[in-house]
Amino acid sequence: MIDDRIAGIASGVPGLRGVLVVTMPDCLLYGSWLRPDMSFSAEEASGYFGDLIRANRQGLRAVGAWTSDMQVTIEGTSVLVVLREVDENYVVCAIFDREAPLGMVRLHLKIAIEQLREILPRVEAAQMSKGARVLRFIERYAPDAHAVLHRVATRTRIPIERLRNPDGLSSEEVKSIEEAAKRILGIEEIHF
Amino acid sequence: MHPYAAYFERYGEHGSIFLAGIPCVYHCHHFNLFHDQTIDDILGESAGFELRMKVARNHFRELFARLARRTGKELPNEIVALAQALLASLGHGRLICEGTGLALRAEGEYLHYGFAWKEKYGSRVRRLDPADAVAAGAVAAIAELTGQKDQRLIGRELQCVAMRAPRCVFAVDRDLSRDASRPISLEELRKHIPGGVERGLYEEEIHEITTKLIEFLRSVSGDERGLIEGFNVFVTLHLASYYNDTAFEAIRHIEAVSPGAVSSAESLLREAGHVCVFNTFGNIILSPEWEALVGPLTGDPRDVVRDCTAIARGLGFGHWAIAEHIPGKRIVLRTTANYEAAHWLCRSGPCSKSRSYFMQGAGVALLVLSTRVRWKERPQLTQAFYDGLFHGGDLGVRLEVPRCLTMGHEVTEVVVEAK
Repeated sequence: MIDDRIAGIASGVPGLRGVLVVTMPDCLLYGSWLRPDMSFSAEEASGYFGDLIRANRQGLRAVGAWTSDMQVTIEGTSVLVVLREVDENYVVCAIFDREAPLGMVRLHLKIAIEQLREILPRVEAAQMSKGARVLRFIERYAPDAHAVLHRVATRTRIPIERLRNPDGLSSEEVKSIEEAAKRILGIEEIHF
Repeated sequence: MHPYAAYFERYGEHGSIFLAGIPCVYHCHHFNLFHDQTIDDILGESAGFELRMKVARNHFRELFARLARRTGKELPNEIVALAQALLASLGHGRLICEGTGLALRAEGEYLHYGFAWKEKYGSRVRRLDPADAVAAGAVAAIAELTGQKDQRLIGRELQCVAMRAPRCVFAVDRDLSRDASRPISLEELRKHIPGGVERGLYEEEIHEITTKLIEFLRSVSGDERGLIEGFNVFVTLHLASYYNDTAFEAIRHIEAVSPGAVSSAESLLREAGHVCVFNTFGNIILSPEWEALVGPLTGDPRDVVRDCTAIARGLGFGHWAIAEHIPGKRIVLRTTANYEAAHWLCRSGPCSKSRSYFMQGAGVALLVLSTRVRWKERPQLTQAFYDGLFHGGDLGVRLEVPRCLTMGHEVTEVVVEAK
């Protein structure tokens, strides 16, 4: 269903090879449209491009220049890729032919993002508890992801069964999970 | 030939490794980093580092002192030179020490833990605490042996390559704590290692392969950096008591203060066994050196289990025997002496549960890897591959330990079955 609606927005744009809508911070593909002659994996690409946006956010924060209105442009030999945040929960990745004029790309992307804002749901992230969001974040970014829940349980002394059902965690427990996450990831703050 | 080959001993048929009477085992950097990480997960970074440093100090001091006596090199500068050369030969990296006693300072660019951590995790995680508690312990041991007698010292890592410093820098300070732990020697361990060993399936083949592997390992020692890089991993010949004292001390602590979190801590100690078998055993099996020793890789689960059992014996984990094996369905490992159990019994005597965490995890990994990896396709044993195999906790297998030496039984028996 969502793919059909993205197709309705994207399919008429000249030089556009594909559009990926990626959820943040988990970098999962929410929906996509690919021009029929394209054969790459939208799921695989969404993970990489989502990570790229996350890294850019962190990089901008590190130099004290963070902005929510960020755009990343990649000029490859055969493609022009533009990544732009729709809002804190979604990133749109538009892949154009390399010869597409940059001015037209920007214009079409602006229009497309306005239309996407209308159709993308906002409920999922808002309904997820903070504990669930912290755990989802750490599971995605921690090294040794296979063991991270046990690591958090060991550090926080919260039984793993409770971590597997994080919506019932108390605010104190969430706070201690955040502290564990920061230690495990080596970061000072967690930004969603 | 290893430069200290004359001081190595393989104990009876068990194959346990002793260097100047101090128990040792081979482990790779994946296991070492995961083990230390688990200790810090249980105790926190500060207390974790302190425990790891002190345990390393206590056992290294005994090892250095014994070798100094046996080689007749007991002057302070001779002890420093001996310790530096020994650490490098065992794959712990090359320490450069200046001074003696409380004035000792040391540096190193390629210390096993810091360097390996930077290689494995450095691009993904910013480390907030130093990684080289083992080297800090070794520095403290050297300082104690070259300073005033009976003065207890601690090693501090002031800079660490894992924290993006150009080199690791160490200093020593007085130890004001009351640390009464002491090393465990061959003489004490002997009491808990019976004369006989278990015989299992494929015994003749395993014995033959183990013999070849032991011969191969006799020539393995550190390179110009003091690292042992082989089979796609960094290997150390390490103090068995380092793993045991740190793991058991940490697990005792969490049992006392947070019983509800014990099962997760124990899962992490078992997970270290998965990490070891996947990375060390797996990369050995895929190596050209292994093919030269054993022959072409068949990928048959029977051969994988046979080879892994031989590797376990060769690396000094104990004389594991395959009591039962139904490929893909069930494996039973049995031993009369594993390095964890003998140590536990020396320190604490029998208890109500199995403390053979490493062997448990290794048994699970053995069943998983022998059937779910297409060995003949020679896969790259990457972190992504590992995550795919072991992520999620439920591996589709059931682990039981019906008997364990730490529970007063005559054998440790690890049973792994597909669900």
